[in-house]
Amino acid sequence: MAKTLEHIPLTGPSVSGLRSLLAYSDMLRNFVRKDIQVRYQGAALGFLWSLINPLVMIGLYVFVFSDVFKSNLPNYPLYLMAGLLHWNLFSQITGQSCDTLLANAGLVKKIYFPRLLVPISSVVFNVVLWLLAIVLLFILYPFLGGKLHPVLMAYPVVLLFFLAFTFGITLILSVLNVLFRDLKHLVDVILLFLFWVTPIVYQYHRIPPHLRQLFAVSPLVDYVLIFRGILYSGQLPSWHILAMAAAWTVASLTIGLFVFNRYADSLVERL
Amino acid sequence: MRSLPDEVVQVEHVSKEFILHHNRVDSLKGKVVGLFKDRWRTHHEHFQALSDVSFTVRRGEAIGLMGRNGSGKSTLLQVIAGILKPTSGRVITRGRVAPLIELGVGFHPELTGEENVYLNASLYGFRNKDVRGRFDDIVEFSELAHFIDTPVKNYSSGMYMRLAFAIAVHLEPDVLLADEILAVGDAAFQEKCHDRIASLRRNGMSIVLVSHNEQQVRDFCNSFVRLDGGRVVETGTFRTKTAHTR
Repeated sequence: MAKTLEHIPLTGPSVSGLRSLLAYSDMLRNFVRKDIQVRYQGAALGFLWSLINPLVMIGLYVFVFSDVFKSNLPNYPLYLMAGLLHWNLFSQITGQSCDTLLANAGLVKKIYFPRLLVPISSVVFNVVLWLLAIVLLFILYPFLGGKLHPVLMAYPVVLLFFLAFTFGITLILSVLNVLFRDLKHLVDVILLFLFWVTPIVYQYHRIPPHLRQLFAVSPLVDYVLIFRGILYSGQLPSWHILAMAAAWTVASLTIGLFVFNRYADSLVERL
Repeated sequence: MRSLPDEVVQVEHVSKEFILHHNRVDSLKGKVVGLFKDRWRTHHEHFQALSDVSFTVRRGEAIGLMGRNGSGKSTLLQVIAGILKPTSGRVITRGRVAPLIELGVGFHPELTGEENVYLNASLYGFRNKDVRGRFDDIVEFSELAHFIDTPVKNYSSGMYMRLAFAIAVHLEPDVLLADEILAVGDAAFQEKCHDRIASLRRNGMSIVLVSHNEQQVRDFCNSFVRLDGGRVVETGTFRTKTAHTR
């Protein structure tokens, strides 16, 4: 026999966990590359399209909120971008998450590979598209009135927590959507609702005080306040907001992984 | 030579029960309406696809799973592949198991033949660097050198099958799980497929072949398991070993 390959047992109940995921890292890479390639096939501007949507959105909100509503916030574009870009990341990933298992049903029913790779590749795909926008934000950062302060160093950690939170939600939604195929429409409505009850385009303290406690239940409010604290005001919000955000992440990831591991195998029969 | 134990597939008392969802409702609306209207409610029925199936496949052995439509042989193949979990019992597989349940699974029509080779092989757990080493062999076997850089949506169905088959037989699996498919293309190409499988078998590959075609099983396998209604009704070996030798 020619050069033998490294031995990777593919199937069987005994194989699971991180090691088998690592063995499939090239699959993840090929998968994400495929998705990006297919998405921008024959598009003259290619990858740049992933930037145009958020740029137009930002431009419109800046116009509406600083010229029409006459917001008096200094550096409003930066204020807006800090919240909006991270909202976009969340809404794109969760909006797509419902379809991931169904879209790959043909694959999942014919070949065994760690099922977790399906939602992971969907998240990675969206993060890659989003990277261009966040890189642009950091390039424009000094021109938008952003200042370099040590708090910025917390950004990667917070982003990681935010992604983990989003990933947990993705896992739950992708499983639920197999059982309830109309979940996607509900998710779209909830996302629209969440966008407006999260202080992204407006200021947190504009929320009437008696409603503020209600708003504060949303994990997205916590994360938007943290991201804006880091990128706009240059200071982290109070410790209990940080603690709440971390707690949400732990909860979402734990429940998500539990639900997915528990049901992913039996879901194959219902796809 | 790899030091694998001799039993590469052990199927032990495997049973598989499906729940048939009559009038299946997969929507929130349906579930809510179902609370009030019987017509919208899902009715469940248990269906025993496999009951207490046991057999062993040894290294280099080729076993044929025979039976009529609905006898559970394809379900059994999916259980061995790890795609379906058995309701009870267990399956132990050792080594690389390549399910050839459907050719070209995971091919994306917009990608080129080359890109699909890497994508498809990685679904079987292959690293890109390992695929690179055998890429030329795959292309040569498929006879698609001239078309490998065009999207597979432009392939004829024969070209598509040839590429998919070439990938599968160049991954050098320890166990090949095949559902009726052991050769594709025209007569000459089929001959080539048979030769390739024969040479893989000489190197110790095992085959589990699902088929309702007795002659196909006789041609390729040295033993068989016959299923009926999800149970093993007959096992045996072919004394006159006609496995493809040339």
